[in-house]
Amino acid sequence: MRSPRRLRLATRELASLRAEKTVVLALVIQLFIAAFSSFLVVGLVSLYDPGAGEVEFAAAGDTDELLEAAAGQDSWDVSVYEDRETATTTFEGGGADAVLLVERTDDSVDVDVLAPRGDLRTTLIVTAARDLLERLEDAERERLAAELNVDAVPVPEGGASPYHGFTYAVLVPVLMFLPVFISGSIASDSVTEEFERGTLDLLRASPLSDPAIFDGKTAAAVALAPAQAVLWLALLVFNDVPISSPVPLLVLVTGITAVAVGFGAAVALQFRERKQAQFVYSVGVVGFFALTFALPESSANTVAKLAAGSATTATYAHVAGYAVAGVAVYLIARRFGGRKLS
Amino acid sequence: MRLRKVLRISRWEVSRTAGGLDRRTLGFAILVFVLVAAVAPFAFDGGLYDELYVVGVEDDDGYHEAVERADTLRAVEPSWSAFSSGDIDVLVRDDIHVADDQKGEAAVAELRDAARRYNAGELAEKDPDAAFPVSVEINYVDRDAEPAEPGDTFEPVAEEEDSEDEDADDDDDGVDAPDAEEDVDDGFSLPSGGLGGIIGQGGRSGTPDDIAPPFPFESLILAFAFLVPLNFVVQAYSTSVMNERIGRRGVLMLASPVSRQEIIAGKTVPYFAAALALVAAVAAVVGGGWRSVVAMVPVLLIFLSLTFVGAMFARSYKELTFVTVFVSVVVTSYVFIPAIFTDIDPVAAISPLSIVVRDLQQAASAAPASWYVFSGAPLVFSSAVLFSLGSGVYREEEMFNQRRVPHKAVAAVASWLRRRASVAKVSVFLVPFVFAIQLLVVATLFALPVEVSLPLFFVAAAVVEEVAKSVSVYAGFAHSVFERNDRNAVVLGAISGAGFFVGEKFAHLAQLVGLDTLEIGRAALGVGFDVSPLVLVALFFAPLVLHAVAASLAALGACRGKRGYLVGLVAAVVVHVAYNLTVVGLVA
Repeated sequence: MRSPRRLRLATRELASLRAEKTVVLALVIQLFIAAFSSFLVVGLVSLYDPGAGEVEFAAAGDTDELLEAAAGQDSWDVSVYEDRETATTTFEGGGADAVLLVERTDDSVDVDVLAPRGDLRTTLIVTAARDLLERLEDAERERLAAELNVDAVPVPEGGASPYHGFTYAVLVPVLMFLPVFISGSIASDSVTEEFERGTLDLLRASPLSDPAIFDGKTAAAVALAPAQAVLWLALLVFNDVPISSPVPLLVLVTGITAVAVGFGAAVALQFRERKQAQFVYSVGVVGFFALTFALPESSANTVAKLAAGSATTATYAHVAGYAVAGVAVYLIARRFGGRKLS
Repeated sequence: MRLRKVLRISRWEVSRTAGGLDRRTLGFAILVFVLVAAVAPFAFDGGLYDELYVVGVEDDDGYHEAVERADTLRAVEPSWSAFSSGDIDVLVRDDIHVADDQKGEAAVAELRDAARRYNAGELAEKDPDAAFPVSVEINYVDRDAEPAEPGDTFEPVAEEEDSEDEDADDDDDGVDAPDAEEDVDDGFSLPSGGLGGIIGQGGRSGTPDDIAPPFPFESLILAFAFLVPLNFVVQAYSTSVMNERIGRRGVLMLASPVSRQEIIAGKTVPYFAAALALVAAVAAVVGGGWRSVVAMVPVLLIFLSLTFVGAMFARSYKELTFVTVFVSVVVTSYVFIPAIFTDIDPVAAISPLSIVVRDLQQAASAAPASWYVFSGAPLVFSSAVLFSLGSGVYREEEMFNQRRVPHKAVAAVASWLRRRASVAKVSVFLVPFVFAIQLLVVATLFALPVEVSLPLFFVAAAVVEEVAKSVSVYAGFAHSVFERNDRNAVVLGAISGAGFFVGEKFAHLAQLVGLDTLEIGRAALGVGFDVSPLVLVALFFAPLVLHAVAASLAALGACRGKRGYLVGLVAAVVVHVAYNLTVVGLVA
């Protein structure tokens, strides 16, 4: 009959979280981060948006190859002027967005770019200039490769979608790991609070065994992060961000949560005061995440691959590793922590 | 406030904390730092984007080597079935086939970069000069916004041919969206489409790959280093404040012959000093000067004050954890978002971090002095208000109970109220806050097109302002400072509105830094319109009427309880938005 009691303790923990409406705050935090990140992407992408209008270049000098490289694109318009002077004057008068002064020597092409300073369009202009000059560079390389008998590959046409990389490699890992960090923190708080308020003795006097108390205090925290992860994955899918392997992803999150919660609770049992416990916990968890970057695949990269659908056998091996680490750390913490209780 | 008492409490605080952080704790922290430092070199190898995209390519294909060399790509056996099932993003057969989704697009952009790098590498083996045949230097010039005079422009002698010429791009594989493109080769494997593509390093010369829009990426990352360690200080501070509230421990201190302001100041000073020392240390490490430290002071204050209020309101450690994380996220975004635009747009002046970024860039022109005032003043005033708000509940009656957070907040506001005129005082207090929140909204919205951002901003601004004006009236009614009747409601609303109006006028100092060059900034401040003096005078006083009327509406609701307050608030917001839209319509 021990497990229903354990369950009751866990329910009490959950109820206290619900009563304080802190879970709501947790969701608000994540929403804030998501909004912040999507602002970063949407806001900055709009600065680069090719649809934001054509960029007018005023060119002068040896412009034949430049014109060839520029052909076939709608995002810019290159006009050639007689000399440096006229191109620059046109630019200063507002007749062009930027100036490209091209000078060809025997084996290289030198380009001077004049761009306006402190303008929202500067980003767009400089990006377009770089894109154009990269095309010029490709054409030059192709010519040189033929001359030098080098096997060069044709450069495929491709415009990046900054949303994709950022969403999967940065946003999804952040959304998956932040709740984990908070979960461990709550577990630690939940234990130190019992010490500070002097209510732990009441728990000890209950017929619960020490490991059962440990389980009861931590169960809610272990469940919280994966639950939040499920919510976020659902939201992402709803927002047309397909998540390729949700199940391994959740296994990974649960494993790391078990590590964080076990560690957090054990630290709290050891130090008994919030200040030290939180300090040691934060340093430890940050250290843990930093250490995962020494693995063949960093934790964030594993999440990105699982979410984007580029997982390999190695990726799944990492997931299994986190699951094992989770169980191991939790069991050790429970043994160690249980002893601290009595 | 007596300095000696404050310092004595500070000394207690320090000795208690230092005693708490014993050798074991520090030993553990040092161990972790050593471990992390040991793996740091490996960590930078494992990039976030590694092998995120899958390319199907034969081993003997030229692209195979290109893909192998790219961190972000993984080469697999080409197969049509794997391509159509989505396991391969780009399939290289006779032609290049790209999966018809965002991932495919991102993958082919990576492949483009990989091919370019491969070509450069192959050429470099034969002739290093041939690898980078184009060199670029970019110069930024100030250009007058004046419209061009007809005589100033010249006719071009030639133009590029337009897109009819299909031969020019026979490599085209169907994906035709020129976009941001960059290759940051600094050890992180950021792909063109990712973070590196968004936030470049602002390169000025080199190969075409090297030039980048003026985003101060490195400086921003370094500026971030100022914020992260503060979290540790804030955590300790919040625990210390919270501990006073557990088991009525704070009673002893409250019963002693010191004022509660002295207690709060005494408890805060050591943490402020620690945070300042941390900031100075970070500045020394990352190469910032005194400017960075000065600029960070308002950030420290707002961090500590928000945490203080959070710790006064929270009911348990668990709740406190959420509150501190929330505070940290809010403060970070408030200072971080505008700082991204440091070199591009005056909107950056909102954030003290922009000054730090400028300082770290060691730019020829340091941030203008007005930036310190503009970014710092709202934060300093807001933190003063927050400390005052928190001290309002630092009393035996409120400190130890387990009431809910909104209740505590209302009680704290009510502690400011004495007479009817007090509501005006509260409204003035809240102006810097309102201003700070509106600046955050401006920073988040300004990149959107004006048609979208302006209406959104109007609604957000109206909600924030109306809440700020009416919360004192509501608190007054809820705590029976004022008698609940309609006459009182109207009078209090008018007083509160007038107070807000006065405070708002002070906030218009903002013009100093030229935020009014930004359309949405103008809307935020309601200044900078180019109209006749008569209209200007009307415009100057019209807000007074608006604020008074809207606040009275909300107040009428407030004297009818919580639900009535909500209804009144909605009515006030509607009136406010309608007014704003009319004014914009009138002037534009």
